[in-house]
Amino acid sequence: MTRPSRVGVVHLALALFVVALLVRTAKVQLLQGRTWAASAQRQQSTERVVPAPRGEILDATGETLAQSRETVRLDIAPPEVRDLRKLRAILLKAGVPAEFARRASDPRRKWVTIPGRYLAIDVAAASAMRGVYTTAIIERAYAFSEGTRRIIGRVDADGKAVDGVELALDALLKGTPGAATVMRDSRGRRFESPAAPGTPPVTGNTVVLTINHQLQQIAERALGDAVSSMGAEGGDVVVMDPADGSVLAMASMRQDPRATASTALTEPYEPGSTLKPFVAAILMEHGKAKESDVVPTYGGELTINGRTIHDEHLAASFNLTDVIRYSSNVGIVQFAQRLTPREQFEALRDFGFGTPTGVPYPVEAAGTLREPARWSKQSANSMAMGYEVAVTPLQLASAYTAIANGGELLQPALVKEVRAPDGTVLYEHERRVLRRVLSPAVARRVRQMLLGVVEEGGTAKLAELGSFSLAGKTGTARRTVNGRYAASQYIPTFVGLFPGDNPQFVILVKIDNPKGAYYGGLTAAPVTKAVLEAALASRNAALDRRTLAASRQEQPLDSARTALKLAAAVQVASDSVSSVRRDSVHAAGVADDDSAGTTPFVATLPAPPAPRVLPLPPRAVPDVRGLTARQAAHVLHVAGFRVQLAAGAAGETFPAAGTVAPAGSLVHLAGAP
Amino acid sequence: MATRKVGGGGSGRLRLALVLLCFLVITSGVILRRVYGIAAARELQELDARRAALVAERLRLEGQIRSASGRARLQPIAEQRLDMHVPNDSQVIILPRDAHDTP
Repeated sequence: MTRPSRVGVVHLALALFVVALLVRTAKVQLLQGRTWAASAQRQQSTERVVPAPRGEILDATGETLAQSRETVRLDIAPPEVRDLRKLRAILLKAGVPAEFARRASDPRRKWVTIPGRYLAIDVAAASAMRGVYTTAIIERAYAFSEGTRRIIGRVDADGKAVDGVELALDALLKGTPGAATVMRDSRGRRFESPAAPGTPPVTGNTVVLTINHQLQQIAERALGDAVSSMGAEGGDVVVMDPADGSVLAMASMRQDPRATASTALTEPYEPGSTLKPFVAAILMEHGKAKESDVVPTYGGELTINGRTIHDEHLAASFNLTDVIRYSSNVGIVQFAQRLTPREQFEALRDFGFGTPTGVPYPVEAAGTLREPARWSKQSANSMAMGYEVAVTPLQLASAYTAIANGGELLQPALVKEVRAPDGTVLYEHERRVLRRVLSPAVARRVRQMLLGVVEEGGTAKLAELGSFSLAGKTGTARRTVNGRYAASQYIPTFVGLFPGDNPQFVILVKIDNPKGAYYGGLTAAPVTKAVLEAALASRNAALDRRTLAASRQEQPLDSARTALKLAAAVQVASDSVSSVRRDSVHAAGVADDDSAGTTPFVATLPAPPAPRVLPLPPRAVPDVRGLTARQAAHVLHVAGFRVQLAAGAAGETFPAAGTVAPAGSLVHLAGAP
Repeated sequence: MATRKVGGGGSGRLRLALVLLCFLVITSGVILRRVYGIAAARELQELDARRAALVAERLRLEGQIRSASGRARLQPIAEQRLDMHVPNDSQVIILPRDAHDTP
């Protein structure tokens, strides 16, 4: 037997080693391959949740009200930064507070988190530096006004909805987060795995509101001016489209900074005389009264069940139309006697009082409408005058839409449309009739009665427009504080239907505790007029101008002459006593010595601005006969006159052609189609 | 006793060298591909971040334009600087349109 050579032993050892290596490799790769692969995956890559951007919130015209955008948070490790002086300069330029820029450039600090979020583009220079770490955070940006934000709500720092439409429609807006596989290279730098691209996030749906941002801004401006000039504690304006129940504007304002919600939905109040048209409507609907029916009003004072009710307008009797026009408490109580408590309760309930409207908002007050079993002897009378019943401004405006549209109570809508990220329409608002509460004929008759409120002699003369009819009703109710009527505190309201013959807007204006003048006709009515005038002058404020043109009341030349004379007379007698009438204010259980009727009334409306003095010399009115209305208006404008269309022979003007008139004065142009 | 072919050893080494070369080329190709993929992924990530930053900037600028051209900002300026005012309803002229015109 030959001994194996040393070379043979080495070869054998090498062969065994190779065999062992192959066996081990087979075990690792074939038997344990998946386990080790998973382990390697865990060590070299991580799964990251990619947050989904929330969907946009748009107004009815497509303007963006809320959208998400990517911002970054900055974390800095000063010891890792090579040029701290340069970093400090960059941070200061990006708007980082000086104190934090100083901390970030202090080499003794190990880690500094800069508060706030920054656009990546603003801090791009800093982000590129060694030792500066950025974390992408999706931020919600809101456009437009504070009032719009009350409706939309907000999201917190973590992107969670907190209130408003953001919270109510969170499931639609928040989208679906995605996932990404992040790997590390040899230097520890992270990058998304090209082999495992992950799941992209799905953006939330787009919600289109019924709010018209132009009208919203008009309402907010008018409300802000009114609250400021009247020294009021706040107010609400709601504008609705009576044709489909859309909420076109909803402005709320409170001096209390804690009131951040849309108080038009959350704060019920006693509506006062604005409830009287509903009592009249119920009476007419049940055939228990008609406009010409007369009741005695006993000179404006009536004691019933031991309680004395007062009127502002003193008369021996009123028919139903005048009860509404003069807002007679005595008259409406007399008429309400014809209704049984059940009829009165059921009708008011049918108008939606005592029930939330159901608009998508996280909090909405139901208001108060008690069942007849819980009424006192005074309840029927109180409710006829708008007390012992509490409504939100939206509920009241919604009830008035039934009068405006021919008797159908509609579901108020705040959301017009919901669209998926690919543009597919997921939801579209459709007119939804909750119930018919009035016959079309009765609704028309009530509207006719409401026209009288805004005409000469009515309580809302200050809301009257020159070229369009306006129907409406004023109300001035005592204000409750902690469940008790507060002395000398009132909530005036005006609800208008514009235009009166074919309403496109139901507009409610409510002022909280104005100082000085407090009647609805003196406070809320002028705000309504201001909103309507601004809406008419605005290009896109949800008005159908074609229909509106048909509703315009042209002033004939004779009346134009009268109007000019009247305007001159008003100018001369500017300090004469106001002819505006006042609502009758009466709350249950309030001593009369504190009532509005015994309080001296001083109107503190802001004085009209002084007319601008034009330094231009008078000039002759040009002859525009034979020209079209547009050409004639242009010629008159160029000549330096203001123009108002009027009925009459085409081309005729007042003052007549050739008459010398001051530059800038008003010329009535006949020939309006 | 078996005799070794002189030429056979050279052929075997050549074959081994070719196998090793193939292995080297394939391995280098895999590594190069991976390096290129990672570089592309990183570049893609940077471009994506830049796109997101630009989109955010665009949204901010759009918001600023909306705010600057909004009624709430322009109306006070028009009233104070230009002495303009909101016309009353009688001063607004609504010119009638043909039925086929869009409203």
